[in-house]
Amino acid sequence: MSMMHASQVNDAKPTGANVPPTASLMRWVIIATLPGIATMSYFFGLGVLSNVVLAAAFGLAFEAAVLRLRRRPLHTTLNDSSALVTGVLLGVSLPPASPWWLIGVGMIAAIVVAKQLYGGLGQNPFNPAMVGYALLLVSFPTYMTLWAPPQGLLPSGLWAQIAGTLPTAQLDSLSGATPLDAFKHKGEAVMASEFWAMNPLPDGTLSAWRWVALAWLAGGLLLVFKRIISWHIPVAMLGSMLLLATLFYLSDPSHFASPLFHLLTGAALFGAFFIATDPVSAASSRRGKLIYGAGIGALVIIIRSVGGYPDAVAFAVLLMNLGVPLLDMYSVPRPTGQPKTPPGEQP
Amino acid sequence: MPSAFDFPGGVHPPERKQRSNQVALIDAALPSRVTLPLQQHSGQPATPCVSQGDGVKVGSVIAKREGMISSNVHASISGVVAEVSATHISIDGDGRDEWFRLPPLAWQQAEPQALLARLNESGIVGLGGAGFPTHIKARVVEQHAIHTLVINAAECEPYITADDLTLRHYSNEVLEGAQIIARLCGAAQIIIGIEDNKPDAIAALKQALSNGQPIAVELTVIPTRYPSGGEHQLIKKLLDLNVPSGGLPADVGVLCHNPGTLLAVLHAVRDGQPLVSRVVTLTGEAIAQPGNRWVRLGTSVKELLEQAGLNHPGLNPAALNQVIQGGPMMGSPLRTLDTPVTKLTNCLIAATIAELPPGPPESPCIRCGECESVCPVALLPQQLHWYARAQDDAQLERYHLSDCIECGACSYVCPSHIALVDDYRDAKHRLRQQHIETTKAEHAKHRFEFRQARIAREEAEKQARKEARQAQSRRTPSSSASASSGETDLRGLRIAHAAAKASVRKAEKNLARVAQQDPKQPLDDLETQLATAKENLNAAELQLTQAQQQSPPNPAPSKESP
Repeated sequence: MSMMHASQVNDAKPTGANVPPTASLMRWVIIATLPGIATMSYFFGLGVLSNVVLAAAFGLAFEAAVLRLRRRPLHTTLNDSSALVTGVLLGVSLPPASPWWLIGVGMIAAIVVAKQLYGGLGQNPFNPAMVGYALLLVSFPTYMTLWAPPQGLLPSGLWAQIAGTLPTAQLDSLSGATPLDAFKHKGEAVMASEFWAMNPLPDGTLSAWRWVALAWLAGGLLLVFKRIISWHIPVAMLGSMLLLATLFYLSDPSHFASPLFHLLTGAALFGAFFIATDPVSAASSRRGKLIYGAGIGALVIIIRSVGGYPDAVAFAVLLMNLGVPLLDMYSVPRPTGQPKTPPGEQP
Repeated sequence: MPSAFDFPGGVHPPERKQRSNQVALIDAALPSRVTLPLQQHSGQPATPCVSQGDGVKVGSVIAKREGMISSNVHASISGVVAEVSATHISIDGDGRDEWFRLPPLAWQQAEPQALLARLNESGIVGLGGAGFPTHIKARVVEQHAIHTLVINAAECEPYITADDLTLRHYSNEVLEGAQIIARLCGAAQIIIGIEDNKPDAIAALKQALSNGQPIAVELTVIPTRYPSGGEHQLIKKLLDLNVPSGGLPADVGVLCHNPGTLLAVLHAVRDGQPLVSRVVTLTGEAIAQPGNRWVRLGTSVKELLEQAGLNHPGLNPAALNQVIQGGPMMGSPLRTLDTPVTKLTNCLIAATIAELPPGPPESPCIRCGECESVCPVALLPQQLHWYARAQDDAQLERYHLSDCIECGACSYVCPSHIALVDDYRDAKHRLRQQHIETTKAEHAKHRFEFRQARIAREEAEKQARKEARQAQSRRTPSSSASASSGETDLRGLRIAHAAAKASVRKAEKNLARVAQQDPKQPLDDLETQLATAKENLNAAELQLTQAQQQSPPNPAPSKESP
C-alpha cells in the first residue's frame, strides 16, 4: 500500500516528475489551447470564441444530464474538466461562428454517445471530439466547409450566423476555402505551380493558417514540457506525415503538395498535440504510441493526397482508435527478467 | 564508481531521511515485557519449546524451527515466560538482562557446516523486510554457483535510515559479516550497492575498506532513485545481470544481503549472540525524538514510540494520525500500537495527517501511461489495473502480474489516485488461493488413484493365491478353449505390464527433476504418484505371471497363430 502520492508531496526533488491529478491535467490542456484559440480569433474573428464557449457549455450540460440519468455524482465528475476539454477541442475544429444547433448536435455525439454511453471518462474507445466532428462532417457538409477567409474580429452577420437565422443563400457569400480545400479542388489538369501562380486564396489566408498552426505548436510544446503528454505520439505522427508527404511530393511535385504545406495548414499540428494525444483512446505502451501516432500521420497524408476529403485528422484518429486494442495487445513491453520470445509468441 | 547500467522507470519521492539520520544510534530502554510472535520470518511458524513459568535468559531458544523454511525464536530479555499461545510467547523481564551465549566461532577456521548450524541456531533471517532464513539462503550454493555477494545498502525507500546508521556505526563489522557469508557460499567478490544520499555511511565504509579484506570488496555508489534497493533492480544496476522472471538472484550467481543481516551474522558467529534485537528507525512528525534505536525483539511499538516522545492522537496538528510499519511506499499502517517489534520491523513512521495525508478519492483511469513510464519492471500497470478489476486471469498472466514487485511507484504517480498496487496484491492473493485449491484437488485425486491401485494390487494377489490353490488341488491342464482365450489375455496383460513399467519410470524421472529444480517444492504429491505407478506395476506383474502359468509355455503365441 502506497501511502505517499506524488500530487500530495511538496518536498520531492524538483527533478522528480510531479504528476498533477487528472483534473489539473485537463486544466493544463485547456490552458495550452489558449494561444491557438487567441490566434484563430485574431484571424478568423470572434466566431471562433463563440464556438468554443457554446461547445464547452453544451459539453458540461450534456455531461451533467447523462450523469444525472446514470445516477453518478455530479460534482466530482464535472470537476475533472474532461467534458470542458472535449468542448474546447470540438469548438476550435468547427468553422468559425457555426450555428448553435450544429455545435449542439456535435456535442451530443461527442459527450452522450461517444463518451458517456461507453461508460464515461476513461472508458471511451473513440476520441469524443472527433466522433462529434466526423458526424457533423458527413451529416452537414455544407456547414462544415463554410470556412470564412481571414477577417476582422466582429464580422458582419456574426450573430445571425450563430443563431442559425442566416438564409442559406447568404451563407455561400460568407464562405471561403481553406488552403487544403482549395488545393484539393484545384482539378487534375492544373499543375501545382500554375495553381499557386493563380493566387487562389484571398490575401493572407495562407499566412493566417501558418500562424494558427504555429500557435498550436507552441501550446503543444507547453504540454510536452509540462509532461502532460508524452512526446511519442506527436513526434511519430508529424514524422510519418513528413516522411509520407515527402515521398508523395518527390514522386510528383506537380500534383502533390509540399511536406511543409501539409504540416502548416489544416489540423496537422493541432491534431498531433491535442487530438491524437487523448490518452483514453490512444495506445498505451510507448511502442504502441509510436505506431499509433505514425499510423495517424500516414492516414492523414494518404487521405489528403488520394482520398476524398481535404483534411483527414478526424478520420485518421478514429481509424487508429479502432486499431488500439490490437496495438495494445501486440506492443506489450518485455518485463525485465522475462525471456526474449520470438515475435510470433509474444502476447 | 558510478554505475553504467540501469533498470527502467523509477521515481524520486521526497526522501525525508533527515528526520531520523541526524542523531547517533542508541539503545532503546530495556522493556519490562516482550511479546515474541512465533512467525517473524517467511515459511512455517516456530514451535514453542518452553512453558509458562520457565525462567529464560537473553538468547535462550523459546521456539524451535518447524519444517524446512523456518527459524528459531529466542528470548530477548531475561525473566519468566508469562504466556505461551498458538501465535506468540510473552516474557516478563526481571530487569537483570542475563545472557545465554553460544561459544564463539572463529569463522576463518570453522567448517561450513558449523557456520550453517550456527546461523540456523541463532535464528538469523533477512532483516531488510522479507525475513527469509539466512541459513537456507546460504545453502543455495548446493544448487547454484555463487560468484558475487551484493550488500544491499541502497535503502531507497523514504524515511528509513536503519541501514545508513548501521553502516555509520558498524561498517567494519558489516564487512566482516559479509566475509563470513561470502566464504560460506564461495563468492569471489563482494559489491556494496549504496545510494548517494548516504555520504556518512559511504565515508565510514571507505574508512573500513582501507583495512584490507580477504575477499575483494567493491563499493559502488548509485544515484538515488526509488526502487534501486529492489533486489533485481540493484543487481541490474551493479552487475548488469537480469534475474529471470520468477527466479532468484542465485539463478545469475548472486546473493543479496542487507547490512543489518550481515551484522547479525557476525554477532552470531563471533560472539555467539543470537538474533534478539535489531535496529529500528523511529521517525515521523508525530514523535519528538526521532532516530534509530537498538530494539529488543518483542518490544511494544507503543512503548517504543512513547520513549521517542509520541504526540498522542488528538486535535493537535502535530498529533499522530497513523503509524506505518516499513516505508511509506511499501509498508502498511498498523491497526493497533499494541503490537511487538519483530525481526521484520525496520522502520516505524508516526505520521501526522499533514505529512502523509489520506489519498484523495480515486477517479477513472485515463490511460495516461505515467505508471508505465515509472515501472521498474517495464510492466503495463494500467492494463494490469483493468484486468485485475475485471478478474481476467488469463490477461493478468499475459501481462506478467507475477513479475510485479509491488514497489508502489505506479500508485505514487497515478494522476487518478488509483491504488494500483492494492489491486495487484488482491489479484495475486486471489490467484494464489485458486492455485492452492487446484493443487489440493489434484492431490486428493492422486491419493484416490493410489488407493485404487493398492486395492487392485491386493485383489490381484488374492486372485493369484486362489488360482495357485486351485491349481494345486486340481493338478489338471487347462482345456484348449481356455488356452486360446488365455492367449489374447496374455497379450493384453503384456501391454499393460509394459505401460505400467513406463509410467513408473516417468514418475521417477518427474520426481527427480522437480527435486533438483526446486528443492523448496513439497514433493509428497509426486511421491504419491510414483507409489501409485508402482502399485499398478505390481498388479500388472502378478496378473501377467499368473496368466503365463495358466497358458501352455509358448514364448510368442501371437506370431505362430494362423
